[in-house]
Amino acid sequence: MSDVALFLAHSVALESEAADRYDELADAMEVHNNPKVAAMFRKQAHYSRLHLADVQETAKDVELPKLKPWEYQWQSAEGPESAPVERTHYLMTPYHCVHLALQNERRGHQYYADVARNSPDPEVRRLAAEFAAEEAEHVVMLEKLAATIEEPQPDWDLDLDPPVVTD
Amino acid sequence: MTVQTALSAQDFKSDVKPIWCPGCGDYAVLSAMTKALAELDVPREQIAFISGIGCSSRIPAYTNVYGFHGVHGRALAIAAGVKLARPDLTVIVAGGDGDGLSIGGNHFLHACRRNVDMTYVIMDNEVYGMTKGQASPTTSPDWCNSKLTPEGTGISPVEPVRLALAAGANFIARGFAGNPAEVSRLIVEGVRHPGFSFIQILSPCITYRPEEREWRNAVHASGEQPAQSMTEAMHRLASDDGFTTGVLFAGNRPAFMPARAAKATLADIERKFVS
Repeated sequence: MSDVALFLAHSVALESEAADRYDELADAMEVHNNPKVAAMFRKQAHYSRLHLADVQETAKDVELPKLKPWEYQWQSAEGPESAPVERTHYLMTPYHCVHLALQNERRGHQYYADVARNSPDPEVRRLAAEFAAEEAEHVVMLEKLAATIEEPQPDWDLDLDPPVVTD
Repeated sequence: MTVQTALSAQDFKSDVKPIWCPGCGDYAVLSAMTKALAELDVPREQIAFISGIGCSSRIPAYTNVYGFHGVHGRALAIAAGVKLARPDLTVIVAGGDGDGLSIGGNHFLHACRRNVDMTYVIMDNEVYGMTKGQASPTTSPDWCNSKLTPEGTGISPVEPVRLALAAGANFIARGFAGNPAEVSRLIVEGVRHPGFSFIQILSPCITYRPEEREWRNAVHASGEQPAQSMTEAMHRLASDDGFTTGVLFAGNRPAFMPARAAKATLADIERKFVS
């Protein structure tokens, strides 16, 4: 990542895609009558949009390149803070939700820390280090929250009226 | 760097909330589809999104373009009619492996060989999800987690991309729902390629096939330029493990389009009967 505009375009996409994904997951949980987890995902979407606003404020005087979805240079298939869709379940609990968000924030922190270490551009390194520090704060906050939530029983996904019915 | 279209992916999402199971790969396909539609820079009213029946066939309702949620297995027939009547429209068809390869299998063969200019996306989860988890045409013969096939089907599965190639599809690609950006690219390329474009998207069903979460570790990019001849594509697909992603074939057959103008006047035809 050798260019400030390109870096900021990635930062905007990282936060906006994370927010959109959290909203999609919140919608899915509402549809499947899991209101507690839906509310938690909605709150994560809100926080992601607050972070997005911060990044947009930083980028307000920079003309950002318009990238196609497949032109982003992520190290994974999606933006690092986008929750993997297949890691969710209609019976998932707040414990799973917080740990999913924690993993997303850790990937976000790792992404910025990598850029801060490896970019040849000093301004990109400075901004990435700043964003990495913010992500580290989010990680700590989520770790504290996670510590307050008890792990569910191993049979948390037991559904007494399961959808798997073929007879 | 390219100039982005005026409409964003969000503009192509409807207000209807999907009822797919949380964790379903189809969510990511929807996201990829709306991003692709934004990239295509086609006005919403110029897009017809046709589907059949099944979980994945609900997708047109979740987009903000003209849609037709059709009859089971008949999406391609409807779509071909739309395209031939309104060649100015961008026609996209979507559905599942059961809808497209079993109930609609015959339509699939003829859509491939007819080569009407449209794009068909099969969201392949190797199971009938909406009817609660039965083996589909792409299910492996030893999958025995359905009460209907407790010892597996014992039948070789349909290989969608090989079938499409043999039947004459002009563009063939495979994507993975876990890589929605790549799926967006495949959809954009498929729509822009003339003729019938077929895109198989491996879309895990985590409810009835939770083991499909492991597809993330099985998929691998083709790493080659698309085959342009059928011979080359056949050769490559002979050793395909079913998890190679990318554009696998890009042919150059002209798209089918019947003559629009009448070849004879009514008076000319009447004269033939008289004489």
